Amino acid sequence: MSISVVSYGVYLPFLRLGREEYVNALGRCSADIKEKTVMDVDEDTMTMAVEAARKAVAGLDLERVGVLTLASTSYPYQEKVMAGTIVEALGLRKNILTGHHGSSTLAGTEAFLSAAGLLVGSGEKYALVIVSDAPVAGASAEMEHSFGAAACAFVLAADEQGLELEGFYSYVTESLGLRFRPAGEKELRDIGVRTYSSQAYNEMVGAAVKGLLNKLGQKPAGYRHVILHQNDVRTTVALAKKLGFGDEQIQEGLVYGQVGDTGACSPLLGLCRVLEKTVPGDKILVGSYGAGGGSQALSFKLNCRLPGRSESFQVLLEDKKYISYTHYLKLKRSI
Amino acid sequence: MGAHISIPMYQRAVPQRYRLVGQRCLKCGKVNFPPKAVCKYCNAGFEFEEVTLSGRGTVYSYTIIAGGGAPPEFAEQAHCQGSYPVVVVELEEGPRVIAQLVDPPPAGITIGMPVRAVFRKIYEEEGVIRYGFKFRPA
Repeated sequence: MSISVVSYGVYLPFLRLGREEYVNALGRCSADIKEKTVMDVDEDTMTMAVEAARKAVAGLDLERVGVLTLASTSYPYQEKVMAGTIVEALGLRKNILTGHHGSSTLAGTEAFLSAAGLLVGSGEKYALVIVSDAPVAGASAEMEHSFGAAACAFVLAADEQGLELEGFYSYVTESLGLRFRPAGEKELRDIGVRTYSSQAYNEMVGAAVKGLLNKLGQKPAGYRHVILHQNDVRTTVALAKKLGFGDEQIQEGLVYGQVGDTGACSPLLGLCRVLEKTVPGDKILVGSYGAGGGSQALSFKLNCRLPGRSESFQVLLEDKKYISYTHYLKLKRSI
Repeated sequence: MGAHISIPMYQRAVPQRYRLVGQRCLKCGKVNFPPKAVCKYCNAGFEFEEVTLSGRGTVYSYTIIAGGGAPPEFAEQAHCQGSYPVVVVELEEGPRVIAQLVDPPPAGITIGMPVRAVFRKIYEEEGVIRYGFKFRPA
């Protein structure tokens, strides 16, 4: 049985915080972003999830959606069936298999792969995967400067033409002190040693990507685009180059500079962006990362064009309003 | 004082609040939203078919709620935004509904402006998030 993405949707919040706001307020911005997306006071990861999913399922026979998986490191409730909100908001069938993924930024590709697995196991026709994330850290934390917000959703289909999942490879090992949140706490922590965190990222993402290439007997040159998890763009680009990918394969999937670190969304948001520039026959490699830690690499091949979307990624990037750092602190409930 | 809506009461209205489920009167054909026991247009029909409204419509009227005028459940929002617009929207299926407008255009709201429904947090009470629809310029 083949599993393919047959449609997708992206949601970016309207508000943006520019890098210069950090520089003006704090004297520096520790993230190499131009700007980042910010949720409004009445948004959370579920409202973003619904908006992205509505775009992904437009025109689809909802009665045939039998699987729903969600991913976020920042659900609005620590305990509750979050899929219930989605089922009612979209009017999905109530006899639906669900999976909730969280607890690290690996959740995005985890939800994607578990939806593919549930689709194979259940014999259902369509699965909906929604990844919506907005990491949170305290205003005094350096890592906070990059934290953005976004959602993307994918409809997976069994035995239908689209963006076919060709294979995947996972790599997981113990990795301490990087981007963690003890139980009951709201804000992320990190020991803040950049070389140490880059080493872990390079080890895990590198191992997953190399493992996948070996498993499939592929070479980097066989891919049109590569999209690796982005929580700092220099590390991402350096690793992709070390793995043998060139600038033209890397650049299209870099979304970090305009949206920030979108957590579990990061590599899948990049995937949504490159899909607009992909033609049938092209291959795409996606590598996720979760601190603590692990990585999953996914290989895709586009078999036929996906349905056009009403708004291009570029339109979403340009539909925005800049806010001040003070307003941002109000939205964070810091003041 | 705000208008307290109990959780079971809110729960009953989830389909209409989350995805605008209304009802078409089988007698006169008009769409009722929110759903009624008897059709508010012909005052006779009491049998309906369920319809999910598109969420598209135009601004029929609007007002701006200043910070001090916000009901308590919207106090946090008023604190963040200062003031916020509330619109009466005429939906393309006919009904007029009242809701907030998000991301208003910098030039101001105009009567007849096209809008579409979006899914947002309306407010939070007793630790429970009340989701529902607001409108956004289309």
